[in-house]
Amino acid sequence: MRPFKYSVTSNVNSATKMLTANPNAKFLAGGTNILDLMKEDVERPDELVDITQLSLTLIKPITEGMNKGGVSIGGLGKNTGTANHPLIRQSFPLLTQAILAGASAQIRNMATNGGNLNQRTRCPYFYEVSMPCNKREPGTGCGALEGINRMHAVFGWSENCVAVHPSDMCVALAALDAVVKVQGANGQIRSVPFADYHRLPGDTPQKDNNLNQGELITSIEIPKNNFAPKSYYLKVRDRASYAFALVSVAAAIEMNANQIIQARVAMGGVAHKPWRAFEAEKFLAGKEATEANFRQAAEIEMKQAKPLEHNKFKIELGTRAIVLALTKAMNGGKAS
Amino acid sequence: MSEPKKAIGQSINRVDGLLKVTGAATYATDYKLKNTAHAIIFKSTIAAGKITGIDTSEAEKAPGVLAVITHKNAPKLNEKGGIRGGAFLQSNIIEFHGQHIGMVVAETFEQARYATRLVKVSYEKAEPKVDFEKHQKEAVLPKNNMDAVRGDVETAFRDAEYKIEAVYETPIEHHHPMETHSTIAFWEGDKVTLYNGSQIVNGAQGAAASTLGIKPENVRIVTPFIGGGFGSKGGQWANLVLAAVAAKAVNRPVKLALTRQQMFNSVGLRQRNHQKMRLAATKDGKLTVLAHETTTHCAINNEFVEPCGDCSKVMYEVPNSLISYKVVPMNIILPTYTRGPGKSTGSFALESAMDELAYQLKMDPIEFRLKNEPAKDPSNGKPWSSRTTVQCLQEGAKAFGWEKRKIEPRQNKQGEYLIGYGVACGTYPARQQNSSAIVKLIRKGTEVKATIELAASDLGTGSNTIIAQTASDALGLPINKITVKIGDSDLPPAAGSVGSVGAASFSNAVNDACIKITDELIAKSGKQFFVRPTAATMMLTEKLTEFETRVDAKAPADAGNYSSHSFNANFAEVWVNSMTGMVKVPRFLAVTGAGKILNPKTARSQIIGGNVWGIGMALTEESVLDPRWGNFVTRSLAEYHVPSNLDIGTIETIFIDEKDTIPNKLGVKGIGEVGIVGVAAAVANAIFNATGKRVRDLPITPDKLL
Ligand SMILES: Cc1cc2nc3c(=O)[nH]c(=O)nc-3n(C[C@H](O)[C@H](O)[C@H](O)COP(=O)(O)OP(=O)(O)OC[C@H]3O[C@@H](n4cnc5c(N)ncnc54)[C@H](O)[C@@H]3O)c2cc1C
Ligand code: SF4
Repeated sequence: MRPFKYSVTSNVNSATKMLTANPNAKFLAGGTNILDLMKEDVERPDELVDITQLSLTLIKPITEGMNKGGVSIGGLGKNTGTANHPLIRQSFPLLTQAILAGASAQIRNMATNGGNLNQRTRCPYFYEVSMPCNKREPGTGCGALEGINRMHAVFGWSENCVAVHPSDMCVALAALDAVVKVQGANGQIRSVPFADYHRLPGDTPQKDNNLNQGELITSIEIPKNNFAPKSYYLKVRDRASYAFALVSVAAAIEMNANQIIQARVAMGGVAHKPWRAFEAEKFLAGKEATEANFRQAAEIEMKQAKPLEHNKFKIELGTRAIVLALTKAMNGGKAS
Repeated sequence: MSEPKKAIGQSINRVDGLLKVTGAATYATDYKLKNTAHAIIFKSTIAAGKITGIDTSEAEKAPGVLAVITHKNAPKLNEKGGIRGGAFLQSNIIEFHGQHIGMVVAETFEQARYATRLVKVSYEKAEPKVDFEKHQKEAVLPKNNMDAVRGDVETAFRDAEYKIEAVYETPIEHHHPMETHSTIAFWEGDKVTLYNGSQIVNGAQGAAASTLGIKPENVRIVTPFIGGGFGSKGGQWANLVLAAVAAKAVNRPVKLALTRQQMFNSVGLRQRNHQKMRLAATKDGKLTVLAHETTTHCAINNEFVEPCGDCSKVMYEVPNSLISYKVVPMNIILPTYTRGPGKSTGSFALESAMDELAYQLKMDPIEFRLKNEPAKDPSNGKPWSSRTTVQCLQEGAKAFGWEKRKIEPRQNKQGEYLIGYGVACGTYPARQQNSSAIVKLIRKGTEVKATIELAASDLGTGSNTIIAQTASDALGLPINKITVKIGDSDLPPAAGSVGSVGAASFSNAVNDACIKITDELIAKSGKQFFVRPTAATMMLTEKLTEFETRVDAKAPADAGNYSSHSFNANFAEVWVNSMTGMVKVPRFLAVTGAGKILNPKTARSQIIGGNVWGIGMALTEESVLDPRWGNFVTRSLAEYHVPSNLDIGTIETIFIDEKDTIPNKLGVKGIGEVGIVGVAAAVANAIFNATGKRVRDLPITPDKLL
């Protein structure tokens, strides 16, 4: 990797100041993504600011503000600890399932929640510096658009980039309407609704999200909800563990007798950001929880999809995955 | 007095197990030599054409850099010296994407790697041939013609009532041993020592010497432990000699390790095979036609063809048979031996086709196979030294609960899962190759110890252990009194751990040496014995302090008059998620007849290792090329999917008790390769039984089952 300066701080303000002062600096959290990318010469920061000593690791109930009754998870909390925390297991089992569906136990032990949000795409052309890639080097073209794009997007892509966001955790957070708390160099904290946090590629595929240089994810807030009894995270992948999603679905349902009060459906492996299936959700509100309704909701959502040469299967797979995830959510989220 | 318990046949723990689990085993790059520098290779970013310019000035100035070596300043190497795929850095010609074009030598690994990014290369690109779909029609008969014809396939196939014709595709796969190919080289005058994982110690020595243009005795290969190879460390690749070149250039020991990404285009691969099968049978299930036609690719100027038709030659009695090959040179790295070469891929086609025809006949696939069991080797008419296919199938069927299987698919459902059973057979030739061995006995007081020396190798399979077991029995010494020295070209020459010849060759050589030393001790004593004493006893009674001997062992003279193979039958149970297409293999059984099993514990490990890889071959493993540029888009183990723990359920192994001393005196047939043969077909056949869907192109990923 290229030579770089290593800095470390245990103070949030100084961390954000260091990054604002040096536009070529990056935060180092668990390092499971940034270090790999540096070894491959994809990320080339000249300074890494180690933020692992910041005391932003707690998971706690939110006692005031608009997400009162919800749970706040620290930006530097580990994925494993977050997944297994009793507050998360009880109130948001969907998040537990999603995190545990990702990566491997060793990686989850290192990976942080903030790092998970900001992990970069797994597009192989992004990783191979001799290949064209607008995300890595704007203006060079998109290697995947007419290349091997089996793993790529079917929703919201542009000619400039067809990559997908690789996270599982984020798919659950999208379904749960989480809020990302970020702090900038001015010390101010702003709240970004999860749906607005990650971006579609448009003509700036180099930008994965709406974080500004120097801003740090301090925590992620999950508002209180009634989905815990009926939620499920389904991940379809090429092997049973340790593979990125072909398609994943986070499904959550709130019922009143036979009627769906509200359903949440978010998808992974299909877009440049965790994809909220708003059309499916709209259709399901007020309907009965039948397989026919699930199927219709899925078809309505997938109708908007535009597959690429090698990922046409994601239309049928996405449809089935939505139906299956909703069905399992209705059964109390138990995996069979 | 009861017979002392034999070591051979016991599930003895690996003699080097403790070293391995404590990290004390020295793999190639674990040697600590003073003043070691680090070399990193850099690679072409085009698949065909020429280098027109290479600017190393910035790299040379980078911190810690000692030398940058390219075709412009590399010493002349003998390209035909036996290094697989060539030695490289000899010209500006590029024949595949990721070809080695230079290396940086620096004080640290990181400095070397960084400096490789500073090298600027310009190219004149040619149109690369990397799209197999497009170029397979240009395939021609290989120079090494392996075709075999018997009877009249065309007429018999035309007239047959029950027949299938289908094409089976297997993708490019990679070996990916845990230990990436790595070498430490250091020179002392004219002599170079190379620490390097080598499946064939003497082969590595010869290839390095001839490529570097020095005498074999001036090359020493040291390889006591190998972190897996699966064929990719059988022939040696350029890293072996480039480390020596780098060490000479900087006049220091140099460590050269490939990165995982570089493994995709540095050390060969299993090439893509397009296998066209035609099978025909009579109504009562007698095979009348078996035609197996393989089309594949090789390197631009270097031919290698996997013998995919090998199983088809020997598995079944059939009057009309055709085995043929066609190959097209392409701008892809040279393919090479990969576990079960030809047999694992070929058996996928053959054993899937057998399953398809059995289904057409509405016949149980085991019964169909039993009806076509050959009395002698159909390819050459030689008698079998032994053949266990029938026992493997019958004992396996019983142990697996095969009678519960329904011939019609989609009969067994559980929730959203469809459950199916599949069976497939496999085979691999058994051979003993020439090996020499020295046995040394030392007595101190009443304690006798032995040292066994030969240039064998241990891939992680357990060679060290079975050698110690053999010597223990043949000398009459407990196993802890035996020291095994292998993996060094200074030792007596031996066969390699390749082609399933290792165990048979090493154990027989050691056994012969131990018999010989006992004979010599008896002769030396001048005494007559009613009961033959052991070598250990002779050392004690004759009060000798040291004694040694050497043998040059060969296969029995008449071994070639017989056809000798290991055989197996594989049984798979699959659960296919009918909604998502994901497949689970909760249960797998491999029944193997492989002659004398020297150590059931290490043997089982080898079989289940082969089974796991075979399941990976069936379900997950594939290296994908971008047909525009010839680069692999699967570029790490995150994308090249080997099965994870969660993918593998219970694997059971059964060994058939078999005594066959025709191929060699100890009756060892070898198990390294056969464990993967037939596995992919068993899984694919089970998927058909579960779903009614016949997938003929591997791997069977979820999208293919929607
Ligand atoms: C082989 C492999 C398989 C994987 N499989 C999966 C999978 O199946 N599913 C899945 O979801 N993930 C998977 N992952 C990805 C893994 O989840 C991420 O690498 C991990 O979550 C990143 O967290 P980290 O703390 O290590 O981030 P780092 O690598 O330290 O940082 C990643 C990025 O986030 C930035 N960053 C970190 N923390 C903050 C913060 N608090 N504020 C602002 N910016 C920050 C860093 O500057 C950097 O740009 C896999 C990873 C690997 C290596
Ligand atoms: S899809 Fe995006 S990340 Fe991949 S090559 Fe295209 S621009 Fe780069």
